[in-house]
Amino acid sequence: MYELRGIRKVFADGTVAVEDISLIVGSGEHVAFIGPSGAGKTTLFRLLNLTLRPTAGALIFEGQDVSALSDAGLRRTRTRIGTIYQQQNLVGRLRVVHNVLAGYLGRWSAATALASLVRPRDVAGAGRALAQVGIPEKLWARTDELSGGQQQRVAIARVLVQDPDVILADEPVSAVDPSLAVSIVTLLRDLSHESRKTLLMNLHSVDLALGHFPRIVGVREGRVLFDVAPDKVGPELLAELYAGHRDEELQLEQLRDGKVSFGAACRPLPGFRK
Amino acid sequence: MARGAVARPGRAAPLLVGVGFAALLAWSWHGTAVDLPGLFGGEGLRQVATYVVKLFPPDLSAGAWRDAATGAVETFAISLIGSLLAVCVGLPLSLLATRTLLYRGILFEARRPGPGARAVRVALYAAGKAVLNLLRTIPEIVWALIFVFMVGLGPFPGVLALGFHTGGVLGKLFGEVLEDVDPAPLEALQATGASRFAILVYGVLPQALPQFVSYALYRWEVNIRAAAMMGFVGAGGLGQRIHIAISLFQEHQLMTLILAIYAIVTLVDALSAFLRARLV
Amino acid sequence: MARFPSARPADRFRASGSKRLFPYLFTAVFAACVVFSVREAQVDPRVFLEGDALGNVAKFVRGMFPPKLDVEFLGLMAGPAIETVQISVMGTAIAIALGIPLGLLATSSLTWRGVLHERTSRTGRWLLGVVPYAASRAVLSVFRSIPEYVWAFMFVRAVGLGPFPGVLAIGVAYGGMLGKVYSEILENVSPRPLETLHAAGASRVGVILYGLVPQALPNVIAYTLYRWECAIRASAILGFVGAGGLGQQIELSMRMFQFDEVLTLLAILFALVASVDFISGRIRGWVA
Repeated sequence: MYELRGIRKVFADGTVAVEDISLIVGSGEHVAFIGPSGAGKTTLFRLLNLTLRPTAGALIFEGQDVSALSDAGLRRTRTRIGTIYQQQNLVGRLRVVHNVLAGYLGRWSAATALASLVRPRDVAGAGRALAQVGIPEKLWARTDELSGGQQQRVAIARVLVQDPDVILADEPVSAVDPSLAVSIVTLLRDLSHESRKTLLMNLHSVDLALGHFPRIVGVREGRVLFDVAPDKVGPELLAELYAGHRDEELQLEQLRDGKVSFGAACRPLPGFRK
Repeated sequence: MARGAVARPGRAAPLLVGVGFAALLAWSWHGTAVDLPGLFGGEGLRQVATYVVKLFPPDLSAGAWRDAATGAVETFAISLIGSLLAVCVGLPLSLLATRTLLYRGILFEARRPGPGARAVRVALYAAGKAVLNLLRTIPEIVWALIFVFMVGLGPFPGVLALGFHTGGVLGKLFGEVLEDVDPAPLEALQATGASRFAILVYGVLPQALPQFVSYALYRWEVNIRAAAMMGFVGAGGLGQRIHIAISLFQEHQLMTLILAIYAIVTLVDALSAFLRARLV
Repeated sequence: MARFPSARPADRFRASGSKRLFPYLFTAVFAACVVFSVREAQVDPRVFLEGDALGNVAKFVRGMFPPKLDVEFLGLMAGPAIETVQISVMGTAIAIALGIPLGLLATSSLTWRGVLHERTSRTGRWLLGVVPYAASRAVLSVFRSIPEYVWAFMFVRAVGLGPFPGVLAIGVAYGGMLGKVYSEILENVSPRPLETLHAAGASRVGVILYGLVPQALPNVIAYTLYRWECAIRASAILGFVGAGGLGQQIELSMRMFQFDEVLTLLAILFALVASVDFISGRIRGWVA
């Protein structure tokens, strides 16, 4: 699916967000990315969903070097990659139905897109996607009237409508309460599994990553520190990953002391699909 | 600095600004021949008072009343259509005057336009800005003179004048709003593979719309006042009638017309406030 | 994708009746207004094609170039240009002088409502509060609703031609606008700090100086500067009714078909407006 060769990203202001990352992700794989904040995970995801262009190195998506893509090719490729952001990145003033149907924008013509704003095109599809994330009754609500957790589910519904080959989820649960977080991660995992989508997820919480993903990539200071199965991720590795980052070290201590168990509480919330 | 004492912020800058303003004021006082003592001392005040007394009572005969009402309606029409025309002129130009839609920002990170394409886009932006500046710089009254010269007397040149001048103002304001929208939703839309046009109508415009409406209503309030003025150069409305009344020393009718202006301006202010509360 | 749970039929989001009706009502009334106004304003784009409209434009544009740039003309115009700036400064000064007292009186939280007046008697409130409040609101409304050039016209009648009636016109019309906005800013000041000061035993003047003024000042200054930017444009326009400044020169040149002079004058006006915008923007930057 993805092949990264020596990817580096330097922003215009000189900050080096991604130092040097090489990685291969196969089709249908589920990979969790963990690491301290500021390690470059979000930038990496913005490179993977073709929002940013790498400063150096090659990003190959399905055998195609993306730097060679034309504007149209870039758009076509983007339709195959769905992104869920940490902040929901929805348009607050639009109704939920439009934010969900925005998943179709890569396939719709300009005229269809415009017409759908007046008379929504695939209301049934939007309704089904919302039902899957447990909030079918919010179809016609104004998006900015929803709570943070509900908005995050709208963002997931948009990706469901987009029906991409890869789902990139950048800290999708850091802004929602813990029990909902588990439901969302489970939902994304099961859904990608059923429809054989590739799933890449940035996670702040180590236990969610270790409990739900067969492959864990540790990112530190813009480099891959480790890339192993979850059972190989031990306390020493994590300590090295988070060295010098107070908050995350605290999280580790709780893990070690057994206050939080690996893969805790996988019960989905009511309204969520089993 | 003494131990324990906190540095006292410098007082030179405010003082300098204050002195500067005082000097500016004195210079302007002198230059504009302001004569407040003259105005308030005896002679001047009596002159004003005589004039004000002459205005009363307003002429409320059927003819004067009908004349004022017709003028008010015409002025209202000029301001409304002029403001609509301004939106039609300003909106497309504002899209050109928005850098984040043409060549920079999140929509152009993945694939920058080549040097040639970029030059064209920068030129488009510069041209859009230049046209808006031109429209905005020429006061509406000068536009009115130009259009009267072109298409003859009547309210239509007034409409065109308001449309062109206000179009320039709104285009600039709209462009600033467009550059200020939150880029995060745009990034998300782009990541779904949406075209620039789709991003514009799904991400940019919904965010900008309330501000657009608010600015358009604000300019309508300005335009109802300006529309009345158009008449001075022969572009219809209350202004024309006021001009005549003043020139012919018909003070009582002038008072009626002033009351009409007051009424129509207050009405539009109230309407605009109501719509702003309702739509934004 | 696998099976979907039976989705509840999504009810269309419905608000109260009036909210549902408003868009339709608004659209209908608005459309009617537009149609009526188009007729009333005699909008007729065909006039561009008939007669000599385009020829006139060509004549006008050709007449503008090259702009008149000889030293004698520029020297002659320096006076009116300076006068325009002076009218805007002096007009704004008078507007502030009128706007502050009227604006203070028109602020309900200062005159009769809220924390400062808990213990004032009913009659006291009415006599010393509500009456001056209502009166100043009415005066402000008259001041700002009559456009500045109508004021200018009347002041020309009352005090004669020249820049002074222009100053008075801007002063009165903008005084009305400043007063209204000042009172809005003051009423929107957060009441918490005022209550705290009041509870701490501060006098009314103390509450105003230490609670109200610091909160309101940045907005007051910003809006006043914005009005000054408007005043420079207005002072140029007022010349058209005989109140001095650049406007008078533009009108003269227009009437005499000296379009090369018009272009130069417009350029001067642009330079003035741009520099005032720049200065005011810088000051606003310091204040904010």
